[in-house]
Amino acid sequence: MASPAVVELSRWQFAITAIFHMTFPALTVGLSVLLAVVYTVHVRTGNPLYLQIFRFWKKIFAVGFGLGVVAGTVMTFEFGLNWGTYAHAVGPVVGVTIGMEVITAFFLEAGFIGLMLYGDGRIRPRTMALASWTVAFGTLLSTTWILSANSWMQDPVGYRKADGQFQAEDWARILFNPAFAHRFPHMLLAVLISAAWFVAGVSAWYLVKRRASAEPMARRCLSLALGVLGVLMPVQLYVGDGTAVFMGEHQPPKLEAFEGNWTSDNNGYNLLVVPDTDRGENRFHLAIPRLGSVIAQDLGGTRTTPGLLQTPADERPSMWTAFYGFRAMYFTALLMFGTAFAGVVLRMRRRLFDSPRFLRWLVWMTPAGIIAITGGWIVAETGRQPWVVYGQLRTADAVSHLSTAEVAASLAGFVLLYVTLLAVWARYIVRTVKAGPEALPAGPASPDVPEARVA
Amino acid sequence: MLEYAAYALVLFSLGMYVVLDGYDLGVGMLSLAAGPERRREYGEIVATAWDANESWLILVGVVLWAGLPGAYAVLLPGVYLPLIGMLIAIILRGLGLELHSAAGRYRRGWALLFGGASLAVTVCQGLVLGAVLTGPHLRNGAFDGGALDWFSPYGVLCALGLVIVHLLAGAAWLQDKTEGWSRSRVRRVGRSLLLGAGVMALVLGLALRSADPQQFPLHQPVRAVLFWLAVAVAAAAGAVAWYGFGRGPDWRPFAAVATMTASGLLGLAALTVPVVVPPGLTVHQVASPHSSQLFLVLGVGLCMPFVLAYNIYAWHSFRGKYRAPVDSPVPPPPARTRTPAPAATGDPRTLVRRVLLTVLGVLAAALPQDVFGGVSALIGPIGVTVLGCAALAAWIVGDHRDARAGCFDADTGAETRS
Repeated sequence: MASPAVVELSRWQFAITAIFHMTFPALTVGLSVLLAVVYTVHVRTGNPLYLQIFRFWKKIFAVGFGLGVVAGTVMTFEFGLNWGTYAHAVGPVVGVTIGMEVITAFFLEAGFIGLMLYGDGRIRPRTMALASWTVAFGTLLSTTWILSANSWMQDPVGYRKADGQFQAEDWARILFNPAFAHRFPHMLLAVLISAAWFVAGVSAWYLVKRRASAEPMARRCLSLALGVLGVLMPVQLYVGDGTAVFMGEHQPPKLEAFEGNWTSDNNGYNLLVVPDTDRGENRFHLAIPRLGSVIAQDLGGTRTTPGLLQTPADERPSMWTAFYGFRAMYFTALLMFGTAFAGVVLRMRRRLFDSPRFLRWLVWMTPAGIIAITGGWIVAETGRQPWVVYGQLRTADAVSHLSTAEVAASLAGFVLLYVTLLAVWARYIVRTVKAGPEALPAGPASPDVPEARVA
Repeated sequence: MLEYAAYALVLFSLGMYVVLDGYDLGVGMLSLAAGPERRREYGEIVATAWDANESWLILVGVVLWAGLPGAYAVLLPGVYLPLIGMLIAIILRGLGLELHSAAGRYRRGWALLFGGASLAVTVCQGLVLGAVLTGPHLRNGAFDGGALDWFSPYGVLCALGLVIVHLLAGAAWLQDKTEGWSRSRVRRVGRSLLLGAGVMALVLGLALRSADPQQFPLHQPVRAVLFWLAVAVAAAAGAVAWYGFGRGPDWRPFAAVATMTASGLLGLAALTVPVVVPPGLTVHQVASPHSSQLFLVLGVGLCMPFVLAYNIYAWHSFRGKYRAPVDSPVPPPPARTRTPAPAATGDPRTLVRRVLLTVLGVLAAALPQDVFGGVSALIGPIGVTVLGCAALAAWIVGDHRDARAGCFDADTGAETRS
């Protein structure tokens, strides 16, 4: 039995490395699709605008993808480094799933990204477009496998336990487990949406600043991003609601924790709570009366939300993280929906590119998707505690034989590194955006104009 | 038998990793000794392929986890600190490389970070290798050692050896990829590294034999034949590399060095099989159950030809000497002028309209949220479809209109302020 300090520090380390890693795919999956689309349009129409868009977003995508790869390498080894017992127990199931992710998706991305980023002028445009689509397909496939592996831990099925290991019995049920059916579309939409907010925010910034050289690109990208958002946001709220209901049925403690109730007599909807875990009650809560029961589809307002006291004390997740993770996701989602809706209305009124207040608001919304994804994963992972494989393997029993000093040292190293890295990454994005896209020649000029611009 | 297939997969990916990432770590370390313009060039040579090369390390990790979970679970905690060090160095290396590449010109800080982190990655890998070869401290099949078990003279020797091997691969790769080094210089550097690698291989092999109380079972004829065969191939490849450094064709030294590394690895495997975790944990004890082995071996095995094929295609696309990328400007756009959108006019009814729109928005948000209990089963999907389709239609119509209005064309006389 490992010391509680090692478990706690290992959990922190895993949480920090996982959240840090997640911020990169949250951008690059959607950006890879955008890059593939604009490059294909460029190849088909020859319109230079799309090449300009491709080259501009490629700069951010390249660095984001590289950082995502190295941060992902950390995750691969952490399973064994910190969670040796877990690794041994679930290796036959989760290890295989992640192995398939690496061989089918990760290699695909990594193999073609060199072509996509450095292939300009070396390979034919059609091959470049194919490479871009392959990278985009790889990132989406990657999302699929990872969500399959994680969903299995949320709702394990299709296995048999023997010699302290989970042994696979039915691969179809393991890979396409019930939780996967809800969580995969939710996450897939989330990564597309978060990239769209990022693209929309950066484009809006150019329009707010009236940077003439970047305006055509900014309008094009803003129109694309808001178009995607207008379609996907309502779908995402619907799918997200389905996921929450599913989790409420399969992991009741998670729902009890993220709704912020201890006793099961609240028909309101909590906006703020200050939970007291030891005494099992809220020191303070702010709620909208009856809304909780309306959300639970009882318009009469009498249905109450189940509370965490229904769950035995040693199986309760932390209400703090689950509640505020969920609120971060949900409230941001409402803002995102409202903004996307406003975008549709403005477009119909032909004011999309000339509404300074809306554009300034969009700049603020740049990180909205990433915030929501982070919040959502915090709910998903901390809400499952104290289990690492829900109902089967406790997190406290999953840790490796390590000394506290070792884990403290590595945790400090990662925190230091990741804080620096986030700062460098943010500065890189800001600088790239400020530098703007390369110049688009004005008018259908004579052939010597491009050379004049280079000089 | 399947567990041997998983073992072979681990070995294969490890070999691919050592050969491929070996050269780019080596190029990174060599860049520390190079001048500014060469450093940038070295970074760009690595930048086209490092993602793909590093994938093999991830594959080693996950195949080990999925196929031999027992080994994965006891080996990794035993080398916790050096492995964490390696991961941190890998991150720094990727950061230095990508930002240097994105900067578009030579930046001393990023170049030094890339080179220094390459060295750190190699040293950490050497320490891990040493610790794995010596064997972790086990009790009841689980790791039970201390935090600093990995630190031993043997581990330090391994680190030194690995640095030399990677430098050798880097030098051979550079002969293939650049024209910067003179023939005599390549020959001198390559041959001295080759000599160093040979000496280190002897020292490490002999030290391992004496360090480990269990003598290797070289009296078994098959094992002995395989081992000495691998040694002979390595020696022959070494001789080819010795001859090839500083002489055309330029790809020969790297091919020889790669063969040398691979046969060295195979020799080591021939010595130890079926033991995967020294001194005594065998592949049968650590393997995952049959169902997982089957899925893994079939899945990875079927994908492997494709993976190799497109990796070879990618290498093929960047074959030959490194050239600085051609600076091709964006070609000129078609002619169109933009008519500006009509200016906004103040309207007393604006407030009313906004309130109505807000209410509509809240209602629209409530629809997909499934708020309207009784008819929710029907209204949810329908509401979502209606909203989504309306947004899609607005998008398509608006986009066409804006394109016709020239919103997406470059304004004539646009000035660059970047």
